[in-house]
Amino acid sequence: MVQEAIISLLQIVIFPGFLFLILAAFFYEWVDRKIVARLQNRYGPLHTGPKGLLQPFADFLKLLSKEDIIPYATDKLFFSAVPVFMLSLPLTALFCIPIINSTALISFEGDLILVIFITTLIVISVFIGAWASTNRFSTVGGMRACLQMLGYEIPLTIALVGPAIVAKTLSISKIVQWQTTGLWFILTQPLGFIIVTICFLAELQKIPFDIPRAETEVVAGWLTEFGGKKLALLRLAEDLELVLAGSIMASLYLGGPSGFGFMSPFVWFIIKLTICILILSNLRALFARFRIDQLMRGVWKYLTPLALLQIILVELIPW
Amino acid sequence: MSSIIKIPFGPQHPAFKEPENFMFKVDGEYVVDVTPRIGYAHRGIEKALEARTYILDLYLIERICGICSHAHTTCYTQAVEEALKVDVPPRAKYIRTIVTELERIHNHYFWLGIVAHEIGFETLFMYTWRDREIVMDLLELLSGNRVQYAMNMIGGVRRDITPEISSEIMKGVKVLGERMKYYKKTCSNERTILIRSVNVGILKTKDAIALCAVGPTVRASNVKRDVRADDPYAAYDEIPFHVVTYDGCDVASRIATRCDEVVESVEIIRYALEHLPTGSIEVIVSRLVPPAEIVSRVEAPRGENIHYLRSNGTDKPARYKVRAPTLANLTALCKMLIGGYIADIPVVIAGIDPCFCCMDRLTFVNIKNDKTWAWEGEKLRGYGIKWYKKQ
Amino acid sequence: MSMEKELIRHLLKKPITLRYPFEKLPPVKGLRGKHVWDSERCVGCGLCATDCPAFAIEMIGKGLTAELKIYLGRCLFCGQCEEGCPRDAIRLTQLYELAESDRKNLILEFKRESI
Repeated sequence: MVQEAIISLLQIVIFPGFLFLILAAFFYEWVDRKIVARLQNRYGPLHTGPKGLLQPFADFLKLLSKEDIIPYATDKLFFSAVPVFMLSLPLTALFCIPIINSTALISFEGDLILVIFITTLIVISVFIGAWASTNRFSTVGGMRACLQMLGYEIPLTIALVGPAIVAKTLSISKIVQWQTTGLWFILTQPLGFIIVTICFLAELQKIPFDIPRAETEVVAGWLTEFGGKKLALLRLAEDLELVLAGSIMASLYLGGPSGFGFMSPFVWFIIKLTICILILSNLRALFARFRIDQLMRGVWKYLTPLALLQIILVELIPW
Repeated sequence: MSSIIKIPFGPQHPAFKEPENFMFKVDGEYVVDVTPRIGYAHRGIEKALEARTYILDLYLIERICGICSHAHTTCYTQAVEEALKVDVPPRAKYIRTIVTELERIHNHYFWLGIVAHEIGFETLFMYTWRDREIVMDLLELLSGNRVQYAMNMIGGVRRDITPEISSEIMKGVKVLGERMKYYKKTCSNERTILIRSVNVGILKTKDAIALCAVGPTVRASNVKRDVRADDPYAAYDEIPFHVVTYDGCDVASRIATRCDEVVESVEIIRYALEHLPTGSIEVIVSRLVPPAEIVSRVEAPRGENIHYLRSNGTDKPARYKVRAPTLANLTALCKMLIGGYIADIPVVIAGIDPCFCCMDRLTFVNIKNDKTWAWEGEKLRGYGIKWYKKQ
Repeated sequence: MSMEKELIRHLLKKPITLRYPFEKLPPVKGLRGKHVWDSERCVGCGLCATDCPAFAIEMIGKGLTAELKIYLGRCLFCGQCEEGCPRDAIRLTQLYELAESDRKNLILEFKRESI
């Protein structure tokens, strides 16, 4: 009993828990920056560590050592609490994703809904952060962020329910187990995969859905007033969201840690996660930025009907 | 009751590369009114020019702007040569034309990168600035420096073009022309660029003529106005070229105009290099300039550049005035911004290719009753005398 | 989506960044860098000092015994001194890495050797 408790504790804290996820966040930020740099014909991070691997960690340490300025007019309690929220929410969601074998650390009937709910909570944290900053640019950036992220939640949720309908379960672990015997969902629901990719680009606020963070219009959007330790935690939270997005795409559509047998399931999961993040990085380098009215028109006129169409197709075609 | 709030795009803003203040009145996301305030980059150049000799002034004029430096010195040397009544040799005129067109190519690549950065397209920004290195290396080969080339002197040009340099230039501009054709194809086919630039920043033809806009801004509104064709200087009366106009009147047309101008510049450079006349590249001139009043104008990459010189027989100018093209485009810019979205502001401002450091002149503002006025020379001198007496 | 082919093509190319100071481009022939002075040819006319736009050249003495002091911190590297010298005594070389941490090291003093 004590041995099980110790093993669970080690699993939560080290692998595949906190330490592993934070290291994965740093690693995938490096992958993202390096790939975007190579697509743009330049080097990317180069000198810190071999091939620049330690650059995200060095940025994190540098930000931790800077002075933490809290402006006078902010709502101090919420202003200081937002980075902690934003960091803990993706970590919690990542515990529900199966990484080393086909059962996650936390798995119960309905954890898909929990993960989607956590993405909504992330939006609310963004809004609280923008509001508590009481800065003109933060307010405009926060409004834009909420419009965008709440709007794109809807097709995301609808499309993510597609695999759940076919596997007849609302638990991510059971959907992954279903895919070991059935076809991977990317082959049977490709439209859903494309919609989920686009919606995750919007949730992560990457180009072309960069409007809340548009440097040339609002200085840094809702992040403007955060600095020092808070900014370090917020950037780590962004990287964790990237890993979360890639993990959801890899688990629900590409089969998670199930492979063709000759390597351990964990390695298969890493390969699929890397492929999903490469797709997201490539799309980041390919487009210009949409305007806010074009964004909203896109989601209400095109993406939501397409997501509904996908669900109808799932119901009609008996896979 | 409408909610009009004032948003300042202040002197420090990530959208601008130079300090400039625009006070916007917005209603929701629509811009209702805009008031510009200039003067943040005023350096007192016109007064400094009067205290230095003509040879020292050449280098000060070159540093009015970093990107259109050759255009300013061409305008200056033309003015002084006309006052001296000397004629530069034909080879010098051709070399001046070649450097002017190379500078135009440099400026348009630079500008395309800036517009791509403003609309969020980082990849195009990186690609165009990578290709810009080719033309900067060519200019370094020709003149010894990547910006502020100091190729002009009063009476001709300073360095000659050898056959090796000529063949390097031919190779380099061929690559540049092809890359620009590819970027033009991308900008007219890529949907995310089109939705940010078509019907954005509209300037109708009659507004463009009434507000005296210059340069590619007005040529994208279907007005055929180009100093190289209307009032030829240097070697432009001997080199055939087309004046590029488009009739879209929006930012997409301005992109297309500048892309086509680069292709035209490549043809002009090729023609000039093949038909380069032999002979000397400079004439010796005297240091004292006889009294005269000269107006000279050139087509800088951003528009029409006008210089006015009044000389009085000594070796220092009596009065020199510079009118940079962005000053002429400023009122047209305000007209373009009204009625658009806030999100379009950086794109439109970047679309006219602003160079606020060229254009700053001094004006007075009384904040209490919002009056503005300008001082003439005698009042400025009187104020200076009073100030010195107080010391 | 139209730039996708171009993007993928760049994955296989070497990055264009020059890793200065580990990789350097060779300087071009006419680069305007640090000054050298030929004391044999100089006649002390003073045109370089008069015509320098940044007032960076100081002539000490007159005529055939004149010596030069150049303030590199003020110099624009415009080349007017090289251009205006009637005897080609002052020339700009290709040395462009001229940064110093002490301002005194930025003053070039050209003296004549006493015979």
